[in-house]
Amino acid sequence: MTDYILLVVSCIFVNNILLMQYLGNCPFLGVSKRMETAVGMGMAVVFVLVMAGAITWIVDSLLLKTFGLEYLRTLSFILVIASLVQFVEMFLRKSIPALYSGLGIFLPLITTNCAVMGVCLINIMEEYSFLQTLVTSFSYAVGFGLALVLFAGIRERIILARVPKPLQDTSIGLVTAGMLSLAFFAFKGMV
Amino acid sequence: MLGGFLVIGGLGVVIGVGLALASKIFYVYVDPKIEAVEDALPGANCGGCGYPGCSANAVAIVGGKSSPASCVAGGPDVAAQIAEVLGVEITLKEPDISRPGCYYGVQDADVKYLYQGINDCRAAALLDGGAKICPIGCLGLGTCVRACPFDALSMGPDNLPVVDTERCTGCGTCERLCPKHIITLTSTSERMIGEYVTDECTAPCQRDCPTGINIPAFIQEIRNNNYESALAIIKEKCPLPLICGYICPAPCELACRRNLVDEAIAINPLKRFVSDYEMQTGKHLTPFKAPGSGQKIAIVGGGAEGLTLSYYLARLSYHPTIFEAKPQLGGILRYVIAEDRLPRKVLDHEIEGILETGVEARTNMRMGHDFDLQSLFEEGFDVIALTKGGFDSRQILKPDPSGYDASVPSVFTMLDFIYSLSKGKNIRESRRVVIIHSGLEGLELARKCRDMGAQKVTIVSSLKAHELPIELQDAKRLTAEGIIVRPSTIVTSLRGISRRLVRVAIEETDPIGELPEETMTIRADTLILAAGRLPEFVFVRSEEAEGLEPGEIAWETIESFRTFPGGNDGICTPPEPGRISDSSAVVKSLLSGRRLTRAIHRYLTDGTIPPIQHLVCEADAVLDVREVHDVSPSERERPDILDVTGDSKRAWIFPSEYPGLNEASAKKEAERCLRCGLICYRKQK
Repeated sequence: MTDYILLVVSCIFVNNILLMQYLGNCPFLGVSKRMETAVGMGMAVVFVLVMAGAITWIVDSLLLKTFGLEYLRTLSFILVIASLVQFVEMFLRKSIPALYSGLGIFLPLITTNCAVMGVCLINIMEEYSFLQTLVTSFSYAVGFGLALVLFAGIRERIILARVPKPLQDTSIGLVTAGMLSLAFFAFKGMV
Repeated sequence: MLGGFLVIGGLGVVIGVGLALASKIFYVYVDPKIEAVEDALPGANCGGCGYPGCSANAVAIVGGKSSPASCVAGGPDVAAQIAEVLGVEITLKEPDISRPGCYYGVQDADVKYLYQGINDCRAAALLDGGAKICPIGCLGLGTCVRACPFDALSMGPDNLPVVDTERCTGCGTCERLCPKHIITLTSTSERMIGEYVTDECTAPCQRDCPTGINIPAFIQEIRNNNYESALAIIKEKCPLPLICGYICPAPCELACRRNLVDEAIAINPLKRFVSDYEMQTGKHLTPFKAPGSGQKIAIVGGGAEGLTLSYYLARLSYHPTIFEAKPQLGGILRYVIAEDRLPRKVLDHEIEGILETGVEARTNMRMGHDFDLQSLFEEGFDVIALTKGGFDSRQILKPDPSGYDASVPSVFTMLDFIYSLSKGKNIRESRRVVIIHSGLEGLELARKCRDMGAQKVTIVSSLKAHELPIELQDAKRLTAEGIIVRPSTIVTSLRGISRRLVRVAIEETDPIGELPEETMTIRADTLILAAGRLPEFVFVRSEEAEGLEPGEIAWETIESFRTFPGGNDGICTPPEPGRISDSSAVVKSLLSGRRLTRAIHRYLTDGTIPPIQHLVCEADAVLDVREVHDVSPSERERPDILDVTGDSKRAWIFPSEYPGLNEASAKKEAERCLRCGLICYRKQK
């Protein structure tokens, strides 16, 4: 049990996927201008990452490991994640239209989110069990959402500040992201 | 190597087949029209239509929730293209123009602190909602001006945004940005049918005016010598300003903030002054008419309420026709009010102005005698409104041969019904009777109906079960008698076919369990109202019909006014004689006329009549001031009586036409106006 709590804390804070591993920076800068979109993206990532983590673990252990084809991991994971997102989109549209319209444009965007791919590969490299994979995927996604929401809150305020012209928008965003990342370094001392 | 090919290839095949299957299984039908409409839209996703993007608006247009002409950026060309896709005719939309709703800049208003931070209203609003004490005041930092993509906004001399109406496209950027929601999109039509809500800046006089004239605005126009625009502002809310100028009891003057210093502004004489000015020119102010669809609407009753309804419907480009039982229009204004108080040439002048806007009038036409619902629907009217106003319904209804009134099929006022029973007239084929009543008289009548052969009698009462008389609480015994009592219930609508009533729609106001998903309807062929008059019914054609025979037309009534969702308004509000407008003063019937206009317009354009939320109903509900500072007393201007006849006594005793203010006094009086907002007013410095 303690292991799992440690896993959750380390995935959310210590090894935060956005601020410590620098994966998924594209949506981090792209959809963090408004709080609503940030929350929407965070939810969509939680949803997809848990599913992708589970499926890729199954594909890896049942297919790739059995036939000794580990070198095809990246290729097959891209294939699986992309089609999974497609499938989830279709499924939600038919079965849970409310959730579908709530997630909106963020669902297809995740196809190209490297954080998803990254977490799936980390899960395999760390040789987690299936249950551990589920927990880490969920925690990484929560960490992603947390960082995104924090960052969106900061950016909403930054709009009001007087920023020198060359530094406006993405530039100041990156500077801020760096500082936020430094703040997260403090968690390194926890574990 | 081969294994790798096989695994990836196999994975690809499995996933491909899986996705292909999934797209079949989880197929969602998308109307091809939606795609066609989306192609026609400019794709700028500006949000001017009120939807988050072009594709959302396309869905709304095809679903009938948004107008084909709703695209602000596309203009008439795009509207025409969309209309072609949908195969409908376009109804052009009146442009919405942004309009700031604050009248005192930060330097003139009462403030809590001095703000010296970032020059942006959104930043200023983060500090306790801004520096102003007034919670809805303009912060004056010009965020909207900088944001306007069309350079239509500028900062005026008093630190308030000014709109260049020529340049404003109604995109709504300013409305979305303003943290205080002061600058909003509005149009003349919206103002004509709108009512004041608690989160907009209103003056005390304006809130207390039953018809809601923007009094400070029109007095401001008098100060600026723009008498015609002053009149235009009045006519947005009141189509009979000269008549009101003569006989309105002017509750606005009681509310006037100047009462705290000396004496109220002569609001009503000022209104009369601009209306007199119009009458002297011999012409009628040409009112703004919104582009519209031109449906035909029949209005039964040509009194103040019917005239108001027809005037605003004409200004919204419908084709209203008034049916009046008497030889001339005017109702109580013509046939009851003394000529000394209201000269008939004034009345004729005002009615002429209303008819000029495109209102047809047919006089000497009595409902139930010369025409009825069926014949009006057959003639092609889409909506029929009953505005009998202050006259008792029995005055204008022609009794049918069986002995009781028949203007609204099988709907009777209780007095008439009992009276015909007492004269020995039998209930004609009344099998299912609904009585709206909470008292013993209702029960007595219900028993009488049972004795005379009614199968089922339902008593509908808006009171809760325990508030009813004890005799009405014994449900078991009454059910055995064939009488059903429904407490906490209101009747919201009638449904009928041609000349007969079929069902009444009811709603529970205080449900014990869950709310019914849809309004319940109960079968009824006779409805008896406890009120002395029939309510202001609005009839429309209905699509659902059971037992429709060839040549017959199904109809239903629409609920004209609700203040909040789930409100217990119904056609009879509690206490029972209810959903009938108060006609104790002409100005009150003007309000109900405007409310009927709103209901009919919303019904014909959107299909639903949304309740008005946060309606200003009492002055207490909004922020106000109790004391006035920095205002020096000045005397109220009075009409110069000696000017008329040279003899002051004669002028008052025989006022064949009592005088109004002359121009000089009107100007002086207008200067006295404090031009109040919620808590701001003009101070002397």
